Amino acid sequence: MADQLLSISGLSAGTEDKPILHDINLSVGAGETHVLMGPNGAGKSTLGHVIMGDASYQVTSGSIVFDGQDVTAQAADRRSLAGIFLSYQAPVEVPGVPLYSFLRTICQMRPELKTSARKFRERIARISDQLDLDESFLTRELNVGFSGGEKKKIEMLQLLLLRPKLAILDETDSGLDVDALAVVSRGIEAYRADCDGALLVITHNTRILERLSVDHAHVMVKGRLVAEGPASLIDEIDAQGFGRFEGAGEKAEA
Amino acid sequence: MAAQTLTGVNVPPAQTWNYLRINDISLELPTVVSKGTVPSRLPRLFSQMECGLGKEAVSWIEASAGDARYVEVPRGTTFEEPILVDVASDGGEVHDLGVLLREGASATVVVAARGTGTGAAASSAALVRVIVERGAHLKVVEILSVGDGNQHLEGLGIQADDDSSVEIRQYALGGARRAVGLAVDLAGKGASLRLDSRYLVGGHDLLDINHVVRQRGRNTRCDIVTQGLLEDAAHKTLRETIDLVHGAKGAKGNEVETVLVAGDEVVNKTLPVILCDEDDVAGNHGASIGSVSPEQLAYLAGRGLSEDEATKLFARAILDDAAIHAPEGVSLACALERAEQVLGAEIAHDAADTLGLEPTNSEDEEASA
Repeated sequence: MADQLLSISGLSAGTEDKPILHDINLSVGAGETHVLMGPNGAGKSTLGHVIMGDASYQVTSGSIVFDGQDVTAQAADRRSLAGIFLSYQAPVEVPGVPLYSFLRTICQMRPELKTSARKFRERIARISDQLDLDESFLTRELNVGFSGGEKKKIEMLQLLLLRPKLAILDETDSGLDVDALAVVSRGIEAYRADCDGALLVITHNTRILERLSVDHAHVMVKGRLVAEGPASLIDEIDAQGFGRFEGAGEKAEA
Repeated sequence: MAAQTLTGVNVPPAQTWNYLRINDISLELPTVVSKGTVPSRLPRLFSQMECGLGKEAVSWIEASAGDARYVEVPRGTTFEEPILVDVASDGGEVHDLGVLLREGASATVVVAARGTGTGAAASSAALVRVIVERGAHLKVVEILSVGDGNQHLEGLGIQADDDSSVEIRQYALGGARRAVGLAVDLAGKGASLRLDSRYLVGGHDLLDINHVVRQRGRNTRCDIVTQGLLEDAAHKTLRETIDLVHGAKGAKGNEVETVLVAGDEVVNKTLPVILCDEDDVAGNHGASIGSVSPEQLAYLAGRGLSEDEATKLFARAILDDAAIHAPEGVSLACALERAEQVLGAEIAHDAADTLGLEPTNSEDEEASA
């Protein structure tokens, strides 16, 4: 295994009134690609949000260590600056904030990304081109009135701009047509090629994985990680579904 | 300078309890000095138009301006250059403009009220009345940054005939006391209005807004989106009325305000009203008042912004948005000057540099004209 970038030990978490994740242990090495699969409602997105530090969820036990630092108690903004990125399944609309102001602000607050207006514009132009995005998007309000595909492209734009060490893609492929899926896949590929970052891909759709070299696959059922294996596990799930894992989830729950 | 008190400014069509102190505003203004007997050049059809401020304030502006400027856009033509009202607030300038957009014409009107407020406190004003004939298109951009210490009155009255469209972007960015009135009469069938209003109020400044839209024509459409940020001990009153008049069958009106309160001593008052005297209409209003929503905060935090930084982003966003939508050099300079005061020079010019916006000033424009 490569140098450990993310190490989750004995993690249990949930909302104020509902435990969702139970005793999660997961390690992601620098530059690795991991895939997290599982039936609907298994807790996959919750795990992504908990790693990101979403304040809607509380960690009740266990720890999250990222890049050698225990970030369990750290706020999401600090984790983001440390190099964690979560691509939202349903990106939030922020009326009144032009996309430009948002992108420029989140880049300028990172010393490693701070640059002149001209160079920033060039970077945006290059990435927009990769993602088939018209630059007129920059003057529109953040995610407001965007189609599902456009929102996902904006998430990819942020991913490529911020160059995080770990990108968690929460069902980035959901609701995309074939063309949009191809563009998003190109974005993920570009992230791997340009940034050499680690990926935790939460998905139901193996098409998004076709152009990726997957190192590890994990299966989550009822808030527990019940299986782990090489990339071939994905093909097994594709062929046979989650049936055989659901029993394991119930057993662990009992 | 002798002063007079104007009462009953910005009175909405339907009022509420007086003890709420939201029904109007009173302003101390300089006593009008006679400008002689020059008759107004505006055709009489402008004289009865509402502009939201109220008759007394309109009379004060008309008398203070002394004369009015009239622009007629001929039938079917498009004015490529915006019709500019450049108000030097430090000098207490008062402007009165009437525009007639003939059938199928298209034009942009820009009001840029700007000042530093570094000298003696001044009171400026702009009154713009526009008649939009059948099938014509009007765009209005108002950028108000009159300087700390200065007071400003802004009135905008629009009458829209059949199948005409009106698009307004209103930015109230700075000034000690600002009263902003707007009245749009969607008189013709199929006439439409889109109003985006943004405000930024800080310190002990006061902003008083009265938006009135009367939907009289069938199948008219009105969408008002108001967003603002209140900081420190800012005082803001927003009255927003959509009046669905009898006979306006199929009319739809929406109004929504999102205000971010970021100061312990902020006074924020909102009076959203939908008047309805017709069955076959739809009217909606909503208001979101308080801090950034938890979902938005979580999203912004996931990109590295703390709650405090998210609030600053909203301030920057309003100023960037004004710069992005300023259609010509004077209004852009006005937006950038205010951005410099609020955000500092580096950030203020960042958007302009990145997006290729080039500010000019009125002297440059005059020289090139």
